[in-house]
Amino acid sequence: MSEVLLEVVDLKKHFPIRGGFFHTVKGHVRAVDGISLEVYAGETLGVVGESGCGKSTFGRSILRLIEPTAGAVRFEGQNILQFTEAQMRVMRREMQIVFQDPYASLNPRYTIMQTLLEPLEVHGLHDLATRKQRVRALLQKVGLDPSYANRFPHEFSGGQRQRIGIARALILNPKLMILDEPVAALDVSIQSQIINLLEDLQQEFHLTYIFIAHDLSVVKHISNRVLVMYLGKMAELATSDELFAHPLHPYTQALLSAVPVPNPKIKREQAILQGDIPSPANPPTGCVFHTRCSFADDVCNREVPPWRSIQSDHMIACHHPQVASPSVPS
Amino acid sequence: MAEVIRVDSIGVEFSINQHYFHAVDDVSFHIHEGETLGLVGESGSGKSVTSLAIVRLLAKSARVTGTVMYKGRNLLDMTVQEMRQIRGGEISMIFQEPMTSLNPVYKIGAQISETLHLHQRLSKREAHDQVLGMLKKVGIARPEEIMNGYPYQLSGGMRQRVMIAIAMICNPSLLIADEPTTALDVTIQAQILRLMKELSRDYGTSVLLITHDLGVVAEMCDRVAVMYAGQIVEQGTVDDIFFATHHPYTQGLLKAIPKIDVKIKERLQPIDGNVPAITRMPKGCRFSSRCPYVMERCRSEAPAFVDIGERHYSRCWLSAAEGLEK
Repeated sequence: MSEVLLEVVDLKKHFPIRGGFFHTVKGHVRAVDGISLEVYAGETLGVVGESGCGKSTFGRSILRLIEPTAGAVRFEGQNILQFTEAQMRVMRREMQIVFQDPYASLNPRYTIMQTLLEPLEVHGLHDLATRKQRVRALLQKVGLDPSYANRFPHEFSGGQRQRIGIARALILNPKLMILDEPVAALDVSIQSQIINLLEDLQQEFHLTYIFIAHDLSVVKHISNRVLVMYLGKMAELATSDELFAHPLHPYTQALLSAVPVPNPKIKREQAILQGDIPSPANPPTGCVFHTRCSFADDVCNREVPPWRSIQSDHMIACHHPQVASPSVPS
Repeated sequence: MAEVIRVDSIGVEFSINQHYFHAVDDVSFHIHEGETLGLVGESGSGKSVTSLAIVRLLAKSARVTGTVMYKGRNLLDMTVQEMRQIRGGEISMIFQEPMTSLNPVYKIGAQISETLHLHQRLSKREAHDQVLGMLKKVGIARPEEIMNGYPYQLSGGMRQRVMIAIAMICNPSLLIADEPTTALDVTIQAQILRLMKELSRDYGTSVLLITHDLGVVAEMCDRVAVMYAGQIVEQGTVDDIFFATHHPYTQGLLKAIPKIDVKIKERLQPIDGNVPAITRMPKGCRFSSRCPYVMERCRSEAPAFVDIGERHYSRCWLSAAEGLEK
């Protein structure tokens, strides 16, 4: 296994809920509640979960775009949560993010050239001629005609805008890219173009990806390892092949069986989950999944399941892991 | 099986800078009793406009041509009053965003019974009982309480259940569901799809299911129509579309999606380029600008929608055998 690029230790983000006459804190939304993992250089770590499970907050907490409540984030051994703002600014050259909505994340009044030059200016890299040259070269790399550089975001289609968003993240030559639902807003025919592009860029620039998405087919395709989150906590973490072939957590199993498969011949027995996700402001006691789990018993109600290793590269937080027949026929 | 609805060559034109452009062109399909037809396509392909044209919910500025035959009558010729009786009573709709489809200041119960009052003469008591029964049918726990609640108190999945209750309460012959699960999480999507399947089976309702998700199509539909740039490019049974795919666009779509049920990691095969803008449609076949098998003829002449096998239609110059080989 290659070296560890990023180490996250017991990361927490609790948003205070304020209310009442004195605007006092009445409780906390535990958006991210104790995530610990390592990300290896050059890999793609997929993070999946339903809306509200904290996967985006997790991604943003790593970059300190949202300030974490507790825990540590070590990038190449240094805990960046203790960095000053100035140190952090330098550090951000190494860690970048691509957002879901490429239109909302590009400045509508800046040309593409201006948008892509800005990071280089902020970090005082190169002279103007070299910067422009770099921008044009990068546009070519992400599959855009460099002559488009003087156009504005509204002149591009959704797929092209996402290419610009990727170029913006890449311009500083980062080591780590956090991809927060990068293809969720795109049509399927365009989605595959962007996924292929991300794979090519990873090869060429030795990038490490944290790929956050709700679409399990996409995550399976692109990831080496996959983390399943539920209500701010880690449910299961394994290599992509292992997780999709032998999911052990009842939540992962339900999640996988819920994905509609584009093959009318496959008529599966679905383990359909009942009910909705509980509120992260008032999570269930014990195992947070026990309210929807068909294997739950007293222990689950009482005790938080420990995060443990079932085999190498397969971690789980569950009192009663279920060895099921593969939910997805191979 | 009897036909519930037959859409014949409808076209919808919108004006942009005093010029009219076809957003939907020559779309024809029919749906049998109890059948589910999937209308698939990417954004801007005209699937929603087609469905809105059928129930005449488009703005007046849109020009609609063709015929929509429902129980022997053309919906496009009906008066406004007649159309009102059809909508909600005989043909009902569910939309993607369940929050914006519900009125935030009316109680859930009132919103469901409104449809009943408009279409059936019932006493208050009878209406109340029917609403309660419907809420139970769509799987809402504590229905009495929910009837007196407001939309903001419900989760996305519950709201969509309420929308389905409104759509189904008058026992319509046709349900048009426009991306009903797109805004929902997969586990909730699975719940809603199962519910829709059960209801359409129990009530014998025909469904026009509009979606971009081929997984949902495979799970739900009997027949499928694939739309591209305002036209249906291929139509057939769900097996035809998935296993005897003819049109290069359908083939491209199927290759482009990452599959959860394959072991080997293959590189995805995207469809190159973008959907042409409505103002700049290619002259011949609308897919010619992106088609890997494009021929000279495709760029000048538009192909017709022809039967290439038993009721398997394709809009492509490749012959039946040629298309299937590719």
